[in-house]
Amino acid sequence: MNGTKTLLLREYIMTHDLKVLTDYIRDELGYDGPLDPDTDLLEERILDSFSVVQMVVYIQSEFGIEFEPEELVLENLSRLSGMLALIEKYKG
Amino acid sequence: MFQRLAGPFKSFGLFPGCLYAINRVLGQLSPRFSLLYHDWMVQPIPEKPLLPGRLGQSYETREIPEGDVLIDRMPLRPEVRVSRFAQDAICLGTFRKGELIGYIWLSFDTYEEDEARCTFVLEPESESVFDFDLYVLEKYRMGMGFAAVWDGAARYLRERGIKHSYSRLDHFNQKSAAAHDHLGWKLVGRAIILRLWSVELIIASIRPHVSLLLTSTQRARIRLFPDVLQEAA
Repeated sequence: MNGTKTLLLREYIMTHDLKVLTDYIRDELGYDGPLDPDTDLLEERILDSFSVVQMVVYIQSEFGIEFEPEELVLENLSRLSGMLALIEKYKG
Repeated sequence: MFQRLAGPFKSFGLFPGCLYAINRVLGQLSPRFSLLYHDWMVQPIPEKPLLPGRLGQSYETREIPEGDVLIDRMPLRPEVRVSRFAQDAICLGTFRKGELIGYIWLSFDTYEEDEARCTFVLEPESESVFDFDLYVLEKYRMGMGFAAVWDGAARYLRERGIKHSYSRLDHFNQKSAAAHDHLGWKLVGRAIILRLWSVELIIASIRPHVSLLLTSTQRARIRLFPDVLQEAA
């Protein structure tokens, strides 16, 4: 029972975090096309080398976390799913 | 086939698309023929760091001197490498844990272009620099690489009282234009450059509007002013 609760809570948090990220992309970057956690944001040119930095700055301030520089690589930043995993790791 | 022909017009518009197509045709006729379309830009040196806190501190920026093995490894023709140092340009490298992730070249007072025969005179001299050939090693592109190189350069320039940086952009390089948009750059002037053997005809939106260079040693002297930044502010 506790396991189910934990899973539900985790799913809720992930959904909330995903919404924070998609809202940022829609509101700040003005992107209104389809957005999936596994969309390659760089390949699709939704983010570029500067907006990705701005998004990292936003995530750090929004979630009160500070990433280790070595984590800020393509694998973690090119997709929302990668960003979510990173956020989850830092939020503990 | 039609899509391939229409592509440049769709991406760049009618007039630039024509220039692009003419350049392609000229290039097929001879490697010594070309039609370039250049934008001369200026951008303010940001007063605050681009990379926050620990992230910014994890990169180190320093000058790479002439003769350094890193210079020899750069994808540059040897004569270009020599001419850059001959005009007192400096190369700033950005490093992470001792490893080079990218670099940028800077020229103070004047800058002698290596693609078109233009010599830019930077105004006002004490507050200006010309930046060129910003290069980020492939594995650092689309991560923090580009921002880290520019952030390091901006810090270096701030410390020396430089307020703005000029640069030259190939009008058809949309990716670079998009990246620089974030830096608040503005158009200073625009030029069409026709090259046939050693003859170069430069038609520019700023003075001197027309330059005909008949021999390979002749250069057009173009003064750049940052007024557009004040107008935009």
